[in-house]
Amino acid sequence: MTETSRRKLIVAAGAGAAAGTVALTSGQASAAEVARRPGSAREPVVAFVKDHKSSELRLMVGEREVVVHDRDLVNRILNAAGGQ
Amino acid sequence: MSSHREAPETAKDPVADGTDTYAFVSPARPDTVTFIANFIPFQNPDGGPNFYEFGDDVAYDIHVSNKGTAESDIIYRFRFHTTVRNPASFLYNTGPITSLGASTWNRPQFYSLTRIKDGHHKVLAEKLACPPVNVGPRSTPNYAALAAAAVHKIGKRRVFAGQRADAFHVDLGSVFDLGALRPFQHLHLLPSADAPGVNSLQSYNVHSIALQVPISEVTRHHNLPTDPASAGAVIGVWATASRRKSRVLDRAKGKYVGHGPFEQVSRLGNPLFNEVLVPMGLKDQWNVLPPHGDKKFAAYVNHPELAKLLPALYPGVFPHLAAYTKKRADLNAILLTGIPSGVVTAGGFQNYTGPVEADMLRLNVAIPPTTTNPNSLGVVGGDLAGWPNGRRVDDDVVTIALRAVAGVTIPLVDPGYTPDAAAGLVTDGTSNTNAASTSTFPYLGNPGGGYQTVPGTTQAS
Repeated sequence: MTETSRRKLIVAAGAGAAAGTVALTSGQASAAEVARRPGSAREPVVAFVKDHKSSELRLMVGEREVVVHDRDLVNRILNAAGGQ
Repeated sequence: MSSHREAPETAKDPVADGTDTYAFVSPARPDTVTFIANFIPFQNPDGGPNFYEFGDDVAYDIHVSNKGTAESDIIYRFRFHTTVRNPASFLYNTGPITSLGASTWNRPQFYSLTRIKDGHHKVLAEKLACPPVNVGPRSTPNYAALAAAAVHKIGKRRVFAGQRADAFHVDLGSVFDLGALRPFQHLHLLPSADAPGVNSLQSYNVHSIALQVPISEVTRHHNLPTDPASAGAVIGVWATASRRKSRVLDRAKGKYVGHGPFEQVSRLGNPLFNEVLVPMGLKDQWNVLPPHGDKKFAAYVNHPELAKLLPALYPGVFPHLAAYTKKRADLNAILLTGIPSGVVTAGGFQNYTGPVEADMLRLNVAIPPTTTNPNSLGVVGGDLAGWPNGRRVDDDVVTIALRAVAGVTIPLVDPGYTPDAAAGLVTDGTSNTNAASTSTFPYLGNPGGGYQTVPGTTQAS
């Protein structure tokens, strides 16, 4: 997706969605689809990246906080947050 | 005060704002100890139709430390659940509430009590009923009976959670108007005629969690200590409120939904600690930290800002205090470590918990309760059963703290110091004009009623 078309998508999504919320669907297939494992969360999860330079990702699930260090996962979240 | 709106963040979150914590050997049941923690300050009793209530999204904890580490050895956790019986009505009650199960009470609140020890959570009781707030004579016609019905027995424990009258008294209007003390304001840097103190908290309510447990349940050796000199006779106590680490607005529900673990947002041990000693830039941080890290704040106890302000605001009144530049070891002992043996010679008193500097109420449970004419000045007044040995409902902590900061307790650790004559007289001039405390659990008086509320008399000048 070119930078121009990406901006158009964000503007269009922003105009139709609740204020401040942008809905994006990846136009590319993931390199490897990750399957759900039996122990995966079955409730809402909030992901928090405090420092974009760090590989740390904090997941709020139930009354727990799971700290993950995964540069690739953080990068994908940052890319998604940036609209990519 | 003593911790009402004491920090910028908690001032914006009254449901989680701890205002006072009490811990004392129960006068009517001296083999038990009573803990009380108040939240939600400055409640106008007529604040309907959505009257004050505990937060369903807040964990309210009473902490007990009994090993001298200032760590939480036992936590009693209160969690609340509110129900709406008739969502089609806008009313808090649709008729007189004559019992805790009355169908006319539209928004009852219930709670669970959990004991957390060594990482293990044991639910002591669930679905315990709170009383309604005091709406007025038509809605809550026999409030005392409703409150009494909300005192629950769990084995040898008693527990209560609900609205009560605030027992704290202070002249906020004068204290925060450049430290004016109305009885002495002719001596102020900006003088005016002396006047009686005004109790700023009179007629306001709070929400209280109160718990009475056998002393042997909370002492280090699980016993009932009788020797005040024993280290095992002293417990540290503080209260906290915690919120979920993350919350997201659920538009479908029209409210926030919490995610993740509970994180402390408010704490309170000794009265006035965060309010008066911790500087503005650190108050929020102090609220989210545990007591055992309070060494970071010790400098503000050892050299309190207020001790410098008193001589400046009252020129010539506190010359000895103005000249005193040593570390305030008296305040450090009272607030951060407990008072070692030999400092207060009467009764063999001590409430020392070791060298870890931590703001906790420290209660020596081997000191029996004073049942005849207790002195509201506590240890300073010769009554070893009052603050800073724990804290009782009627202790005049503002006067005690003012006099301590003004220097009356310095000779306990520095016999060469002579306090200024004014130090033993200083007061904000208020007395306990709140609803009278009770002689039995939960000790705080019944809350003021909404219908009975009379608007104030504030004027612009």
